[in-house]
Amino acid sequence: MTNSNTEPKYKLTNKDFNQINRRSLFGFQLGWNYERMQGSGYLYTILPQLRKIYGDDTPELKKMMKTHTQFFNTSNFFNTIITGIDLAVEEKEGINGEDTVTGMKAGLMGSFAAIGDSIFASLIPAIFGAIAATMAHQGNPIGIVIWIIAQMAVNVFRWSQLKPAYKQGVSLVTNMQSQLSALTDAATMMGVFMVGALVATMINVKFAWAPTIGSVPLNIQNNLDMILPKLLPALIVGAIYWLLGKKHMTSTKAIFIVLFVSIALAALGVITKG
Amino acid sequence: MHIAWWQIALITLYAGYQILDELQIYSSLSSPVFAGFFVGLVMGDIKSGLLIGAGMQLMVLGVGTFGGASRIDANTGTVVAAAFSIGANMNAQAAIAAVAVPVASLMIYLDILARFTNTFFAHRIDAQVEKMNYKSIERYFLAGALPWALSRMIPVCLGLTLGGGFINMIVKELNGPWKWLGDGLTTAGAVLPAVGFAILLRYLPVKKHYPYLILGFVITMLFSTLFTSVQTIGAGLSAASKAFTTSFNGISMLAIAMIGFALAAMAYQRTIATPKAKAAAPSSSSDSEEEGEIEDDEL
Repeated sequence: MTNSNTEPKYKLTNKDFNQINRRSLFGFQLGWNYERMQGSGYLYTILPQLRKIYGDDTPELKKMMKTHTQFFNTSNFFNTIITGIDLAVEEKEGINGEDTVTGMKAGLMGSFAAIGDSIFASLIPAIFGAIAATMAHQGNPIGIVIWIIAQMAVNVFRWSQLKPAYKQGVSLVTNMQSQLSALTDAATMMGVFMVGALVATMINVKFAWAPTIGSVPLNIQNNLDMILPKLLPALIVGAIYWLLGKKHMTSTKAIFIVLFVSIALAALGVITKG
Repeated sequence: MHIAWWQIALITLYAGYQILDELQIYSSLSSPVFAGFFVGLVMGDIKSGLLIGAGMQLMVLGVGTFGGASRIDANTGTVVAAAFSIGANMNAQAAIAAVAVPVASLMIYLDILARFTNTFFAHRIDAQVEKMNYKSIERYFLAGALPWALSRMIPVCLGLTLGGGFINMIVKELNGPWKWLGDGLTTAGAVLPAVGFAILLRYLPVKKHYPYLILGFVITMLFSTLFTSVQTIGAGLSAASKAFTTSFNGISMLAIAMIGFALAAMAYQRTIATPKAKAAAPSSSSDSEEEGEIEDDEL
């Protein structure tokens, strides 16, 4: 008799997918908080669909709403994959799928958070940010436009993952994994290459120190250029790299240490803006 | 100090928008380099804005975790520094070190405050779930945008409205008796991008890919030295003779990036083509990433 309640008959339509994507893209992280992070965001994204699946004012809906406000945190570039797999289960099994859904959410959110942060929150901004910043440095805003176009492509990718995830379920994740790791590997390689290029162009300092030996002034910068141009920027990055490896070092601390050391060295006349 | 009320209004609105953009569609309108461009546009000096934006962008290149960890708010720092630098005629590099960095790191605490405030809304949502009040659930969720936006808008608006006299005084001192400090800040502004590069190197699997680091550095270093020399010769020639009108551009970073992309594409094809290596690659790359990652959370 309770069959009609526990095994809902609603099937998601394209309109539902679009609504979920819209809510995910423009609202998913608005409720981010320290207690349950994206918990309320997860509920917000799928609330209309939950109401359709379980029906308004049913005890099942209340239970699932509570389930979905629990702690959740993943990459906001991959969250709809988890949503898609989740809704496929709930649509089929209803409230009986609760444990499956909770386990799946907890199991997938960590790995997607790691891979999403490394590709979309670090590598892409690093590569395109570097291009935009170097062009901006010359007074050219075109690099910013290039970056915006790239991010729009990323958003198309975010929009397009919900439906395959809903259709293929967990198998999509295992299929994606090998491709994504090859992609991450290639992207990190390009990232490393770009850092090398940036070190060679974007740190504009040189030695100002010119001691006189006997009566001959020694131009240190010119001598260094004969060995290897841009040696000083490379040494500075190497020193900060070493500094960052120290215990209890944070990026903010490192920024202030570099700030004060640079002021001191400039005041002593050792280095100057090149 | 000339910042008109409409300039403050536009910049304040942008400061609120950029954090929501970063949380949501991440269109890169929330990047320091765009912040510099936008404020430069509003203040009427795009070049200085871009210069500050570029410096801050490079400084935080590797600081790319969002969600969990609070990081220095380079966007807001850029917004305030660019507005003051253009308004008070402060050297762009010095503005990075003297204004952008301190503002960006103070903003960490307002970011934390916003994240705590949202806990309040999360509890309101719990209460509305009990009542099955769907409209209110959504309303309280969307209200979460307010702490986010206001945590940026209020300090930017107050800073731009009240900070003018203070900045004017600093600029006067740095150009006068404290010139050594002004020069030091300018030099520091030029060195700070190095922090961003070093953080990136900590984060990326450098030990695995170090040949590409050398390639990127050497190719760019040789070309940029060459391009700069040619530009110097060109400038000298056009100064010597009016008949010489050709001007030379600097090195194109996009071209360098394309070399890097080609190398990465070749590596990707190799990995896809050999299924055995595919299984080995993920574990080693994720290992080194975890090792290299540095803790960024201030708490």
